Amino acid sequence: MEMELRRIREAAFRELELAQEVGALNEIRVRVLGKKGDLTAVLRGMGAMDATERPRIGQLVNDLRQEFEAALNERMALLKDAALTKRLEAERIDVTLPGRILERGRRHPLTMALDRIKAVFLQMGFDIEEGPEVESDYYNFEALNLPPDHPARDMQDSFYITEQFLLRTHTSPVQVRTMQAKPPNSPIRMIAPGKVYRRDYDATHSPMFQQVEGLVVGPDIRFSDLKGTLELFCQGIFGDSVKVRFRPSYFPFTEPSAEVDISCVICKGSGCRVCKGTGWLEILGSGMVHPRVLEMSNYDPSQVSGFAFGMGVERIAMLAFGIDDMRLFYENDVRFLRRF
Amino acid sequence: MRAPVRWLKDYVSFDEAPELLGERLTMAGIPVEGIDRPCEGLRNIVTGLITSVDPHPNAERLSVCLLDLGGRTVKIVTAATNVRAGQIVPAALDGAVLADGKTIAATDFRGVISEGMLCSAEEILGDTKIIAPEKREGIYVLPAGTPLGADIRPVMGLDDVTLEFELTANRADCFSMMGLAREIGVLSQSKAARPLLTFAEKGEGKAAEMASIEIREPDLCMRFCARILTNVRIGESPLWMQHRLQAAGMRPISNVVDVTNFVMLELGQPMHAYDYSLLAKHSIIVRRAVDGEKLTTLDGVKRELNSEMLVIADASQPVGLAGVMGGLATEVSGSTKTVLLEAAAFYGPNVRRTSRGLGLRSEASGRFERGVDAAAIPLALDRAAQLLVDMGACDIVPGIIDVYPKAILPAQFEFTPQWVNRYLGSDIPSDTMIDILKKLEFTVKIGPDSIQVTAPTWRQDVTGPVDIAEEVSRIYGYDNIASTKPTGQLHSGGMSQQQNLVDRSRDLMTGFGFFETLSFSFSHPSFFEHLRLPEDSQLRNAIPILNPITDEFPILRTTLMAGLLETVARNLSRKNEDLKIYEVGTTHHAMKLPLDSHPAEVIRLCGAMVGRRDGTEWCHSRENVDFFDAKGVVESLLSGLGVGEYQVVAASVPWLHPGKQADLMIDGQSVATVGELHPSVQEAFGINRPIYLFKINLTDLAPYCSTGAKAYSPLPKYPAINRDIALVLADSVQAADVLEAVRSAGGELLVESRLFDVYAGERVEKGTRSLAISLVYRAADRTLTDEEVDAPLAKLIQHLETTFAAKLRS
Repeated sequence: MEMELRRIREAAFRELELAQEVGALNEIRVRVLGKKGDLTAVLRGMGAMDATERPRIGQLVNDLRQEFEAALNERMALLKDAALTKRLEAERIDVTLPGRILERGRRHPLTMALDRIKAVFLQMGFDIEEGPEVESDYYNFEALNLPPDHPARDMQDSFYITEQFLLRTHTSPVQVRTMQAKPPNSPIRMIAPGKVYRRDYDATHSPMFQQVEGLVVGPDIRFSDLKGTLELFCQGIFGDSVKVRFRPSYFPFTEPSAEVDISCVICKGSGCRVCKGTGWLEILGSGMVHPRVLEMSNYDPSQVSGFAFGMGVERIAMLAFGIDDMRLFYENDVRFLRRF
Repeated sequence: MRAPVRWLKDYVSFDEAPELLGERLTMAGIPVEGIDRPCEGLRNIVTGLITSVDPHPNAERLSVCLLDLGGRTVKIVTAATNVRAGQIVPAALDGAVLADGKTIAATDFRGVISEGMLCSAEEILGDTKIIAPEKREGIYVLPAGTPLGADIRPVMGLDDVTLEFELTANRADCFSMMGLAREIGVLSQSKAARPLLTFAEKGEGKAAEMASIEIREPDLCMRFCARILTNVRIGESPLWMQHRLQAAGMRPISNVVDVTNFVMLELGQPMHAYDYSLLAKHSIIVRRAVDGEKLTTLDGVKRELNSEMLVIADASQPVGLAGVMGGLATEVSGSTKTVLLEAAAFYGPNVRRTSRGLGLRSEASGRFERGVDAAAIPLALDRAAQLLVDMGACDIVPGIIDVYPKAILPAQFEFTPQWVNRYLGSDIPSDTMIDILKKLEFTVKIGPDSIQVTAPTWRQDVTGPVDIAEEVSRIYGYDNIASTKPTGQLHSGGMSQQQNLVDRSRDLMTGFGFFETLSFSFSHPSFFEHLRLPEDSQLRNAIPILNPITDEFPILRTTLMAGLLETVARNLSRKNEDLKIYEVGTTHHAMKLPLDSHPAEVIRLCGAMVGRRDGTEWCHSRENVDFFDAKGVVESLLSGLGVGEYQVVAASVPWLHPGKQADLMIDGQSVATVGELHPSVQEAFGINRPIYLFKINLTDLAPYCSTGAKAYSPLPKYPAINRDIALVLADSVQAADVLEAVRSAGGELLVESRLFDVYAGERVEKGTRSLAISLVYRAADRTLTDEEVDAPLAKLIQHLETTFAAKLRS
């Protein structure tokens, strides 16, 4: 009987070594360990055996069963692993082929520039106000201290609808509208973005363009606050290292008035074509709100003061993105729009 | 305004280089835009006396001139025909550089060596507008007595530097050398001084006896002064004066006219000279024109006037447009013997309206619009008299005729340095403020509590304490004022609901892969035809612009669609063939035309899709977009904006394909439309392929959008039972009606229904299609059994069979 076991063992292990597939191993398992397998047959044959021999033979069968089962499992794991490796290798793809890109839409570059401007002012606690594009002469000019036939009206060549209505030439009327909508002397911190219209059309002028107006009014608003606020704004848009210069100027609705220049973002101030060799770029007009403007909006200049400012979004976008022709913004060539 | 540095130095001394001076003036609010060094590039052009002119031996059209250069003789060949012996002319010698940068070398002209070239005005100046027309052609002949062999630049007054100012509208006083000199004086710590006036009046009688002046419109003419000049000898003005005028950009004309221009540039006071003998009854009447009255102005144009315009008239007719331009009939000419010289102050807004109304602007009208210093008018007349006497051009009749109905007084008010410092956020000592104001020639009186100031007469722009804050700060330097942050209550900034809606729409559209475009608010009525709008369409009610920038843009847009289609066409023509674009913007709608109130401004979002649905890479489907892509975008956008319920119905917009367009309706109102572009419209816009469009009225939609955070409803605890049904229906039955019926008749347990397949083809009867709908049944409190679902499902099917004549497909 022991000889029989030895024969079974040798045959089983030989087959195990020869088996190359999981299926073959399963067959071997059935043949050796199964209910009708070789080892079961040996156990069945033990009835005819001497009773004193049975435990010893039984032990031998069990040992063999365990040994073989372990070897078989090990072999099985090995073959499964090889098979998986082979399958995965067969599934290899060219990962360098382009991915299925989801085309990202874009906001218009002017909207992006406006978003940045808004973000800076929203952080500083400003509200965002709006006003109509078809505006009355009163809001566009008169209430801003620009009476009829004022020479400063020349600065803004207007599109007229009637004697009384025109396309607003600036977003400044929103200053007046905002003040008039509030109880007299209420504090204000607002910006008003929007489209404005002037009769000019070339590489640096568009008959329609966008402006952002700003207004801060309160009991103790000073010229130095204007400087501090607009310096923060310029740094917020053009970076902390930008230099800001305030230059006396004239607007009928502010006094004192200041043009705000930043150090040229192209040449960093050393002088180039964009800054016409001056090292400075004009980007904002500003000033302390003229007392007459406050009065006309029922604000009392002896109680409150304020500053106002205005900027062209196109100009800021052109500088921030390095665009040299304003007309590109309104051509909407998607190749242009995709560059942002 | 051009100001030659040498001219400025007549009134104020300064040493700064022009660049530095320009920078300092700019930073004090007197903006210098450029520094001009005219004829800077000229080299080796000298004066020479022509001693002989002989024909060229070998060339018919050429002459050979010998020139005395003051000790040296040169031979120059010229083709000019105006050269004569005895003339002094500019000669560009070997190595010379002309205005246009051309260099001159000694050249052999058919056997005669020319040692240079004789020059025309243009070759020296580049631009001849400051030269009398008759001197522009041929060789420029210099006056007798010009030194020989001298550099042409000083001889022609071209060696000065000129500052170019871009002055602001408020500083009327700076439109003169004197005014600019005052500002320079303040910045350079030296005081500007007016020209000294010493001249003798001469002759019999008095000016007042020789002419009468009447102002009938004292609001429009605040002051009118005149002097009478007799024994006038019209001729050229002296060279120095001609050079001054030329450097400032004006053309010399004659001694009398040059003096009026010179004084205008010097003191800012425009003047006009009339031929006294031509003034009817020697009288001047300042009055409004009569409607339809005619006047031929100095430029030779006959103009029709109206009663808004102020004229200077004599006893019979207008002789000048007040403050704008004189009349041709009374112009000073070579034969003029007596002159009435006018210097006046006219009301700026009226001058502006007249000059704009006639499209006639002049150096004078620009100055009157901004305002002249009425107090200084007699001074200007005296200055003119002095200059004319000095050049021996005339005698001055004693006295000035001066009509000044109501004296214009400079502003007088009080301020405190504390207030100025509080307003500026500065810490400027009172003494510094007082010093600045005194330098600006304000009269300053220091009281116990405040400072009283009187502005100089030429500063009509100064009216109150804020002007003091401005004057002090601009001279003190904006750079020297600190930067601070505004104080006040803390406030969190924010956007309105409308602004948030637009912003969220943009976010969503970006997420859907769309590019935002921006087009002009201007449009053209031809687009109404392109869009097939019926005659009575509301969209035709566009607001016209009185003065459009071009013929292309005479109206304001009432729809974004035309601009969007133009954008599509432009992109397609540039081979950008796969487009997903949109625009958000306002359209303008008049309640009534002509406009008598603010028009409605509606915020709209319009989009267009054309070409491939996904990309064009190897891995993308090759399918093009269709109606349902566009509709899907609109529905996704509405969902993203929190719009709940809406109905979809077939639409009838004229510019869309009649069978492929839908309205999305809320409360019986269309808030969005989607469809395929009508083929005729496609053609009208030059587009050669199908386009899918949508438009959303964000103004109307706003009330239906949810703004706040959504309330959370918990996930279901119990499993659902799914059932799919396929219904065969006539083609005329609309899917939306079937789905609505499913939702309303599905029973309480039906929580979801979805159309997952639409089939039309061989396997169903012709004229019908199959809609396959997936149904989900669920109860919130228990696991459903099949039996519980069977009953409502059977009821639903029966309902669909009766309502739509539907057949259940096996």
